[in-house]
Amino acid sequence: MASTASPTMLTKFESKSSRAKGIAFHPKRPWILVALHSSTIQLWDYRMGTLIDRFEEHDGPVRGVDFHKTQPLFVSGGDDYKIKVWSYQTRRCLFTLNGHLDYVRTVFFHHELPWIISSSDDQTIRIWNWQNRSLICTMTGHNHYTMCAQFHPKDDLVVSASLDQSVRVWDISGLRKKHSAPTSMTFEDQMSRGNQNQADMFGNTDAVVKFVLEGHDRGVNWVAFHPTLPLIVSAGDDRLVKLWRMSETKAWEVDTCRGHFQNASGCLFHPHQDLILSVGEDKTVRVWDLNKRTSVQSFKRENDRFWVIAAHPEINLFAAGHDNGVMVFKLERERPASAFYQNSVFFINKDKHVRSYDFQKNQESPTLLTLKKLGSPWVPPRSLSYNPAERAILVTSSAEGGSYELINLPRDGAGSMDATATHRGLGDSAVFVARNRFAVFNSTAQQIDIKDLTNSTTKSIKPPTGTTDIYFGGTGNLLLITPTAVHLYDIQQKKSTAEVAVNGVKYVVWSNDGLYAALLSKHNVTIVTKTLEQVSTLHETIRIKSATWDDAGVLLYSTLNHIKYTLLNGDNGIVRTLDQTVYLVRVKARTVYCLDRSAKPKILNIDPTEYRFKLALVKRNYEEMLQIIKNSSLVGQSIISYLQKKGYPEIALQFVQDPQTRFELAIECGNLDVAVEMAKQLDRPKLWARLTTEALAHGNHQIVEMTYQKLRQFDKLSFLYLATGDEAKLARMGKIAEHRGDFTARFQNALYLGDIEDRITMFKEIDLYPLAYMTARSHGLEEECASILEATGLTEDQITLPTVGEPLTPPKPLVATFKANWPTKATSQSFFEKALLGQFEGLAIEEEPTAASNGLGFEVGEDEITKENGNLIDADDEEDAAGWDMGDVPIEEDGDFVEVENTDAGGSGISEADLWARNSPLAADHVAGGSFETAMQLLNRQIGAINFEPLKPRFLEIYQATKTYLPASSGLPPLVNYVRRTLDETSPRNVLPTIPRDIESLASIDLQKGYDLMRANKLEDGARVFKGILHALIVNAVSTVSEVEEAKKLITSAAEYSIAMSIELSRRSLSPENIKRSLELSAYFTIPKLEVAHRQLALISAMKLAFQKKNFSAALSFANRILANGVGPKNLENARKVKAQCERNPADAIEIEFDQFAEFDICSASHTPIYAGSAFEVCAFDGSKYQPKYKGAVCMVCEVCEIGKNGSGLKLVA
Amino acid sequence: MDPFSAEGELLNLHNAFHQGQYQIAVDFNTSSLSSSNTLPARVLKLRAQIALGHYEDVLADVQSESTPELAAVGALAELRAGNEASAVKTVDSLVDSEGENGTVQILGATVLQAVGRSEEALTLLGQHQGNLEAVALIVQIQLQQNRTDLAVKEVATARKWAQDSLLVNLAESWVGLRVGGEKYQQAFYVFEELAQAVSTSSSQSLVSQAVAEIHLGRLEEAEAALQQALTKDPENAEIIVNSIVLNVIAGKDASEYTRYVFHTDPKAATLGCVTLHGKINLLICNSSLSKIEPDHAFLTDLQEKSDMFDKAATKFSAKVAA
Repeated sequence: MASTASPTMLTKFESKSSRAKGIAFHPKRPWILVALHSSTIQLWDYRMGTLIDRFEEHDGPVRGVDFHKTQPLFVSGGDDYKIKVWSYQTRRCLFTLNGHLDYVRTVFFHHELPWIISSSDDQTIRIWNWQNRSLICTMTGHNHYTMCAQFHPKDDLVVSASLDQSVRVWDISGLRKKHSAPTSMTFEDQMSRGNQNQADMFGNTDAVVKFVLEGHDRGVNWVAFHPTLPLIVSAGDDRLVKLWRMSETKAWEVDTCRGHFQNASGCLFHPHQDLILSVGEDKTVRVWDLNKRTSVQSFKRENDRFWVIAAHPEINLFAAGHDNGVMVFKLERERPASAFYQNSVFFINKDKHVRSYDFQKNQESPTLLTLKKLGSPWVPPRSLSYNPAERAILVTSSAEGGSYELINLPRDGAGSMDATATHRGLGDSAVFVARNRFAVFNSTAQQIDIKDLTNSTTKSIKPPTGTTDIYFGGTGNLLLITPTAVHLYDIQQKKSTAEVAVNGVKYVVWSNDGLYAALLSKHNVTIVTKTLEQVSTLHETIRIKSATWDDAGVLLYSTLNHIKYTLLNGDNGIVRTLDQTVYLVRVKARTVYCLDRSAKPKILNIDPTEYRFKLALVKRNYEEMLQIIKNSSLVGQSIISYLQKKGYPEIALQFVQDPQTRFELAIECGNLDVAVEMAKQLDRPKLWARLTTEALAHGNHQIVEMTYQKLRQFDKLSFLYLATGDEAKLARMGKIAEHRGDFTARFQNALYLGDIEDRITMFKEIDLYPLAYMTARSHGLEEECASILEATGLTEDQITLPTVGEPLTPPKPLVATFKANWPTKATSQSFFEKALLGQFEGLAIEEEPTAASNGLGFEVGEDEITKENGNLIDADDEEDAAGWDMGDVPIEEDGDFVEVENTDAGGSGISEADLWARNSPLAADHVAGGSFETAMQLLNRQIGAINFEPLKPRFLEIYQATKTYLPASSGLPPLVNYVRRTLDETSPRNVLPTIPRDIESLASIDLQKGYDLMRANKLEDGARVFKGILHALIVNAVSTVSEVEEAKKLITSAAEYSIAMSIELSRRSLSPENIKRSLELSAYFTIPKLEVAHRQLALISAMKLAFQKKNFSAALSFANRILANGVGPKNLENARKVKAQCERNPADAIEIEFDQFAEFDICSASHTPIYAGSAFEVCAFDGSKYQPKYKGAVCMVCEVCEIGKNGSGLKLVA
Repeated sequence: MDPFSAEGELLNLHNAFHQGQYQIAVDFNTSSLSSSNTLPARVLKLRAQIALGHYEDVLADVQSESTPELAAVGALAELRAGNEASAVKTVDSLVDSEGENGTVQILGATVLQAVGRSEEALTLLGQHQGNLEAVALIVQIQLQQNRTDLAVKEVATARKWAQDSLLVNLAESWVGLRVGGEKYQQAFYVFEELAQAVSTSSSQSLVSQAVAEIHLGRLEEAEAALQQALTKDPENAEIIVNSIVLNVIAGKDASEYTRYVFHTDPKAATLGCVTLHGKINLLICNSSLSKIEPDHAFLTDLQEKSDMFDKAATKFSAKVAA
């Protein structure tokens, strides 16, 4: 039996105090009550590790303590013989129950009745009603201290343990009946009860001894019922833990768990698993298998004897009290072992089944594998590492001192099966480090073995001393965790290439792109790059449980009760709260995938707006920010202050409504317009003053002027006018000053203006004649001087004047600078604002084309169109001419395939490219193989192709797509490899080349492009696109017969569009006098089978032209067809009007060759009708029709095939 | 002890060279090497220099040397410098006198293969004594001869005695890209492993990864890898060629670049491939290819095929003019 510390005991909390004698878990909150030998009761939050409260009213040691299940109450009992009931809300003792005559050992609440049970050294067990605070029952029988007494969790039973070496089970149904509603108590009931239960020696029938269990050789310290089964466990000073079973009528000893080598002081059943836990004065916590009564694990403390153990009623937590405090622990890790790869997570559930969960389908797989045989049945696997290349998993378990197992997952993943063909070995952790290698770490030997998939060691590494764990460190690297640092270890070079000092790292989470890793410690998240450079770190007071990376590079991590995020720069925040602890696996958009503690995949919805926004801010992705601002209600003080703090006041401005804040932000980012607007709203002098300062700094004197006006700072205003040279306003300022009677101001203004008369007048007005005289004098205004002298009755002689210098004249403004602001400081228009503006412009632009395409150009008027297209048609002619450059050489008919020759030297084989030509009858595959000549022969035979020049780009395109160039040995040319479309094929007989631009891309991209051009009336480009489609289809390959049909449809429609466009283009190139031909061609334009919307365009154009030229009969027929198609309300309206007009006079002014009632096709060369029944020739490829005289010429539509030559038909599928 | 084995002191240099990290190989500190390893280290460094295109320096360096190894290096540099005849002459005399020398075998075979004397190259390499580089060369030559069957056997044999060596992995992946099917994925893993680890990543391994991805039909990933390679080494012909191939396969507009493949005007040839809106700018790619390596197999081959097309096309023509 191992007495060493088991590695699977996970201590979650430890307190330091005097001896802990009693412990109680709060059923809901993360609280624990600890009764201490020092007379104190402590209330701890074991999650935060903080002492919440202390209750100190007992006199002497407190031994028993219990929380009420629902009420905010707890009870305690101590050596002062007292039982106290407390409210933890008011933090007071509510009342004391007195009665015991010696130490109280244990106290417990009843699970539903308002009862408390207590056991005492006075040899009694007492039951109290805490509602009316009375003793309701005293149970006597034990003849030594009763150490423990507990209610049964369901039945009306009590079990007690005593130093008299016995365990007793008591029936308290009588007590319940007595104390429940008295009406139900009939005489018969009393009678039957009296008969059923023997009264004790005092005639008391409330509680009677049901069984006395004897077996312990010394006193019994603790006893407990099983939560569901009729089992009892007891621990005694005989160092034994005994298991008892009972039935209705009897109870007996089942077995004994031997192992403690000192007094066993406490024991209990595991609430969820078939386990017994016991503690003893031998300083051990022991775990026993309930069914086999064998030791499963044990945990030893160095110095402290254990006195008590308690289990959390709901979650997997235990607490044990010892000489120096209390410890809260878990027996096993609840973190399900998991690993994610691309879109699935692989995990091991509680039944040790390996399953996977697909994020895309949101589907859990059936069990892939069971790992029942792995490790001990009581120890869940610790970690899982997945290897996608081999579809193998590496599972580690801490059982047996650490072991790993390498297992291949079944390929199909069907049905659960036992792991077969596994490799196993000893080691604490094991991770895949490469496709075919994994590393196993053995902590006791301090060695890392690199093993291959057959489990043989290829390399051994001595890690830095003190290494505790290893993680994947990017390909070929390991992350070695030591208590104080993380090392990046290069396996090949066998050395540590980087190191970062981070304490106590427990988990490593790599970002999806492998560039960053998050190192999780208990309370810290440290983000590092793949070369271990620290990017940021953050601290959490609550334990960090797990983390996962968003695709955008945001780390989401979970604590016990929150999901939070952190950006690479360390900005973090809360995403949502959690009801229960989960382990994050993956985050995609608004969904977080996680595993809960029972290893079930869960999906949580989150609102990523906040961190997306912050991320966009950091990355300066203004478009996305704009998007977020527009689409979400992202307002609130926090985001505003965040933005302000981060130096983005201009963005914060976008969110704020409050004028005061808006003003502040506007000032901060120098957005004067907003600031003015807000200042006007608020209209407070203080704000105006600040605005003034800011506006001055900007050189925006218009705003300064306004603010001075608002503030009525006249002198400043005057000075501003002087500075800006605004004389008119300066004069007005003078008037205002005069009006206000402010002479100083008036003087100043006059001075600014150089207005001497005004100054003199003013001096005179205020009787300052000497000054008036001086002024006049110095400016040489003699008359004025004289008049002043006259007024004062003085003469010139009577005045002694100082010498006056040159009169002061203020300079006159040369440039009217007041008309515009002086931008001394660039008006800050942030990127963001620009983006905002840009967005609006973008919108405006977007709107235009839509308007135009509605108009379709056809409505613009004929003249313009012809003008527009005149130039284009020239270009088209040239191109056509190139296509028509043909000789008269007859085709060489060599019936057989040309055998592909080997050009390679002696001992060499056949290249794959050559194989393609052999493997396939398709021209495309021959082209890919570089065998152009055979490809041409094939095409010639299949569709009568004769003019290959237009196909040259297509040929070279296909050919270029077939080979890649792999750099190999230095000094030699790269190795050529051949790109296949048959990816899974390896047999040389079946391999086929890749052909770019398949049917699907042609139909989805090129065809749509053609349609768009048709709609936009860009027929030149459209014709080129459709021709391109035809050329791409001539040399192509498809995989199924149904695709062949699709291809044929595509050929037909591309051909029809080609013909239609060429008809319309040739009409546009006509000279304006040729009205007849123009009418004919516009009529023929309506014949090819276009999409209805496009046909409608042709019809409208034809109708308009016919109507204009007074061919009312034809126009009527077009109008009728437009109406029959019924597309486009505006078109229909026009058609109706035309129809009404034409019906009055359905006659044609100009005779044209167009019979609206006859069935006919259009010759693609001459653009003349081919009436049904008359002879014609066709192109074997695109099906375009021609007058018989064109037989033997090159098809005008595809420009490749010979007209009238019937081939064997185009082959597209091998 | 084999100096290239896992415990040998030349392992890192050897790996750096074969992973295409030539600059690292050149910068490798050889001062502390034991005397027996000095020469092999020097040979590797010189070869790395040749690979980087500094063959003139190498020629000057080995001019006065007479050891067969350095003479062989000289021959390789001659070949790079365009003096085919003198390179072959040196090699021929070395093969006669020092045919047992491993370096002579490797470099001699490289020269012979480069001038098209594949069979002689294979014979020379056949004498190797457990030299993995020779195996890799044999495999490459066999692949160039389209003898995939023989290459498969060669790798399988080498695998037995050199389990996990870099060169075996590489050679196996080269073969894998010819065999196809599941082997594509396996080759991809090998290249990815090299390309994505900081310590082993080079433009060569990134290109290799991209090539494997092209074969696997994962075009977007391939493009990402090529972009990554381009940032490392914007003038690498292999990156540019494979980028062109990738874009063609992806069906990007063909008319744009076929016109420019043969564009030889140096003014039009901007240096390096520029990434425009995150996409490889084909037009510039092609023109730069014709500048960086005008004789690249891709260009010569395409030119040849273009001529061939024109020739073949003349055999057909219309009977009637329209």
